[in-house]
Amino acid sequence: MKQIIGEPGIDLSSDSKMDLKLTRNSESFHKPNSSNHNLNSFNQASQYFPNLSPTNFLSRAENLQQNLKTKSTNSFEPNLNSGMATQNPPLDWDPHAMLSNLSFLEQKIHEVQSLVQSIIDQQAEFSSRPSELATRQQLATADLTCIIIQLISTAGSLLPSIKNTLLSNNPALRQLVNPDFNNNLKCEGLIRNFPETARNSEYEDLLRNLDNEADWMKEPNPPLQSDIVDANPIDEHDLKESDDGDAEREHLPPGSYIVLQLEKEEILAPHTHFCVICGKGFKRDANLRMHMRGHGDEYKTPAALAKPSKEPGSDVHPVTRYSCPFAGCKRNKEHKKFQPLKTILCVKNHYKRSHCDKSYTCSRCHAKKFSVIADLKTHEKHCGRDKWQCSCGTTFSRKDKLFGHVALFQGHTPALPMDEVKASGSGQGNDDMTEDLGGYNGNFASEECLTSMDVKGIDESRAYFSPMNFDGFGALDEFGRGGFDLEDNPFAFIPSGFSQRSGDS
Amino acid sequence: MCDITAVLTVDLLAQVLDWLHDSRDLKSCRLVSRAFLQAERMHRRAIRPLRLGPLPVLLRRYVGSLQSLDLSSCPSLDDSALSLSIPCPNNLLSVSLSRATGVTWRGLEVLASVCPRIEAIDISHCVGFGDREAAAVAKACWLKELRIDKCLNVTDVGLAKVAVGCSRLEKLGIKWCFEISEIGIDLLVKKCLELRELDISYLKVGNESLRSIASLSKLEDLALVGCEYIDDEGLYFLSNGNCSLQSIDISRCENVTSVGLTTLAEGQQRLRKINAGNCSPVLTSTFVSKLCTLGDTLIILKLDKLQLLASALEIVGKNCRNLLEIGLSKCNGVNDEGISWLVEGCTNLSTIDLTCCLLVTDKSLLSIAACCRGVKCLRLESCVLISEKGLDQIASCCMDLKEIDLTDCNVNDNALKCLSRCSELLVLKIGLCSGVSDIGLSFIGTNCSKLLELDLYRCTAITDDGLAAISNGCKRLKKLNLCYCNQISDTGLAHLQLEELSDLELRGMVRITSSGITAMAMGCRSLTQLDLKRCYSIDDAGMWALAQYTENLRQLTISYCTVTGLGLCHILGSLRCLQDVKMVHLSWVSIEGFELALRASCGKLKKVKLLGKLQDVLSSELLQTLQARGCRIRWVNKPLVFKG
Repeated sequence: MKQIIGEPGIDLSSDSKMDLKLTRNSESFHKPNSSNHNLNSFNQASQYFPNLSPTNFLSRAENLQQNLKTKSTNSFEPNLNSGMATQNPPLDWDPHAMLSNLSFLEQKIHEVQSLVQSIIDQQAEFSSRPSELATRQQLATADLTCIIIQLISTAGSLLPSIKNTLLSNNPALRQLVNPDFNNNLKCEGLIRNFPETARNSEYEDLLRNLDNEADWMKEPNPPLQSDIVDANPIDEHDLKESDDGDAEREHLPPGSYIVLQLEKEEILAPHTHFCVICGKGFKRDANLRMHMRGHGDEYKTPAALAKPSKEPGSDVHPVTRYSCPFAGCKRNKEHKKFQPLKTILCVKNHYKRSHCDKSYTCSRCHAKKFSVIADLKTHEKHCGRDKWQCSCGTTFSRKDKLFGHVALFQGHTPALPMDEVKASGSGQGNDDMTEDLGGYNGNFASEECLTSMDVKGIDESRAYFSPMNFDGFGALDEFGRGGFDLEDNPFAFIPSGFSQRSGDS
Repeated sequence: MCDITAVLTVDLLAQVLDWLHDSRDLKSCRLVSRAFLQAERMHRRAIRPLRLGPLPVLLRRYVGSLQSLDLSSCPSLDDSALSLSIPCPNNLLSVSLSRATGVTWRGLEVLASVCPRIEAIDISHCVGFGDREAAAVAKACWLKELRIDKCLNVTDVGLAKVAVGCSRLEKLGIKWCFEISEIGIDLLVKKCLELRELDISYLKVGNESLRSIASLSKLEDLALVGCEYIDDEGLYFLSNGNCSLQSIDISRCENVTSVGLTTLAEGQQRLRKINAGNCSPVLTSTFVSKLCTLGDTLIILKLDKLQLLASALEIVGKNCRNLLEIGLSKCNGVNDEGISWLVEGCTNLSTIDLTCCLLVTDKSLLSIAACCRGVKCLRLESCVLISEKGLDQIASCCMDLKEIDLTDCNVNDNALKCLSRCSELLVLKIGLCSGVSDIGLSFIGTNCSKLLELDLYRCTAITDDGLAAISNGCKRLKKLNLCYCNQISDTGLAHLQLEELSDLELRGMVRITSSGITAMAMGCRSLTQLDLKRCYSIDDAGMWALAQYTENLRQLTISYCTVTGLGLCHILGSLRCLQDVKMVHLSWVSIEGFELALRASCGKLKKVKLLGKLQDVLSSELLQTLQARGCRIRWVNKPLVFKG
């Protein structure tokens, strides 16, 4: 159990590492002893929390560090006699394990309770030290996340595996029970040496869902995951290319296709790979392939699991169309004249454009707002180059737009280019210069803003992992290998942005 | 002597004046008495001054009744001259500033502001005009008619200004405004719903423009000459549009085929005039058969350079019985049989163009003479198979014949003898007919006294006597072409005493000298265009004579003449109407001579043709001044070659 929960914290980047971990994890998982050991370590760890002096955060961190060290020694022991693990029958429901899980949960809840209580008690003090308050909040959040995950995985092991077939015909229901379903999947996967990436993604998704629902904390970006930051703009461009699907209105007879309706959170998550059956989104195609295994045996073949070779139409899926979750929207399946959206990318763009705030403002004109970044980028390419002006003062980037405007309004005429020459001749040259510079500055600012936005999406999910990692659901081998060098940086588990600030204070 | 106005009141005089169209007749009338002058003054609605000098006097005389002012012939017209030449309280409805290259947008703005009710403006061929000028014109909001042909810098923006400012426009010509695109046309159509006539010839617009134009419900007349991006699809839009066209000109639209013409004829049932010349060459019979549906309404049909069969002409003859004019120039398939079928049906034909119909023989002329007795204009250039037999029949039957073109038809004196029976003849072209001699011309001179235009290009057999016969008989001649008639000498030229002659071409007449020119100039005082290219013997004396006698000379070609700088300077300085001078290869004129002459002319000239080598030698300041005054200089790089 510990490994399952701990793994989201492990770096996803290296495949070879993953393989190593995989074998070890699967070995250790099947040993009831190991979970007991872990439980012990939790108990040890939990002792620190109630006694924690709320004012002295640093001391707590040191304690935690020690705790980690003890845990590592504990957890390595069972790994030594790994022969036992393989002999245990898999998937048997173990009431002992369940009980220990529940008691762990109980303890954990107590911890969080006391932590939150301490925050409330010392609110006055925190007002002068906001950074400390943030740290506390973060810890509380991490703990809560941990509890939820534990709860879900515990519950998941209770569910019978036949549920899968029951649900498969009802996408809506499937959607409802999604987390459990995923969990079930995961259990299955573990038995078959399911690659951990899949499980990682389950957690990522899960956590993101949680994150979106609660809209918990906003975190400054640690310098992690540069690969994903780079990947994101491409993702956005993909979105841009496939439009809302408004242009081509297809005429599928109702009933000839399956209607999927994704939840708002799912839509807004930065996924690019979507399950054609349930609509769930993934950041990586590999994760999606792992996920697909849950939809039936045909997805479990090595061929299905391998990287998709570029043969289109090898397996035929039922025609699927999508519904917008916004009630009253024409793209919502309850609407009288329901017009389904063709792809998930269409759903994403439609939902963002129609039902979200336009949070991206053009840095040049400071007037146009967009909800899809790609739209903003397209606009910024042309913004500020309006050379077609109407007599009313409105400017246009294209001649046909201007003429359309002139045709619409009585008495408006296109302005002569010479007017501009005259105007600029009368001493506005300097202003233009400064405006240009301003434009540049603004542009930079916007780019910064954009990158931070991009990063945040990933980061919000990432932010939970470090503390959780710390809280000790394992991955101790990771520490041993120096994935997190705790000796050098005792605050490695805290998001880097924060650790710097606390260091300052 | 009693006062004539006692019996002939001013009202009656005005009615008489309604019937006088010739400016010379009007002048005689003015000179009768003060009462006549008064009547003429009250009657006159339009003036067309040749110079700016007398304009203030004229305007004072006519200011009350004057409606139309044509300043297109005035040299050195600029903004200040324009604002001075328009009286402030006026009833002007129409002003023509065609080729007034010296005027700018400021002058046009003044014009629009002082003529509040102006309805027609012509600024065509002001090649430098652009959007600013168009915007100035657009301030005349009552404008109904506007010509901006060949204002090369007018773009969509300028057109939009006009479209928004002059929403009452009924007639618009934007021929050769290459910068105008479909976007501009689209806006024009949306704003000017009253448009009746539209000329978008040679614009680079496509079918989409025709789609929008087709929505103009009042459109009657559309010219699309040389619109290379228009094809059958565009014509389909037109045929299904709101407009009911009466006249369409789609000549030189290379991508229009018979299919498009057929759909057009199907959709536009009120078409009266079709010009489909020089379209895609193959004309299918379906189009011709569709013409039947237009039947009685069609009066003008031009099918130049199309391949059509005799049977097509038969269909036209049977169905289009009211046809007045047919153009079959360069149609390969036209033969005698086709012509006879055509004229049997279309007996009202007054204009028949058979230029370069090489199969046409006397038989065609016989059938024309038999059926179309009212024919007024016959163009038979390069119909080499016709002879005096056919022309004899034409001359005896078609007494109304006013114009005949026999260029390159190898006609002889006998043919001219026959033709001279047509006493109404106004235009006669017998260029390249080397068989025509003095005898033939003497018949013309004796009988065709109304002749206005005579073309004797390269009629090399003609001598001084022939010219004498013409100039004695045809006193009303306005245009005379004697190019390369190199037997004519000074004696012949001295006979040219034609008061009304305005256009004279003497190119390549190597035997004439300055004395001949002097004698001619004294006799032909109203000359406006003169071509003396390659008259190698003409020197400064000729220039002096021209400067002295032909005051109205506007266009002059003196390339290859032996004129010196002095003569050039004098003629350019003293001729007040001179606007267009071609002076290439004036080997006797020094660079200083050119400089001085051009400086002397400054402000008047609108077009100059000079040897390209001078471009670097002449002072740039001079060239800039010339161009600033609206003068266009064409630099020619032809080698110096003496011929003839």
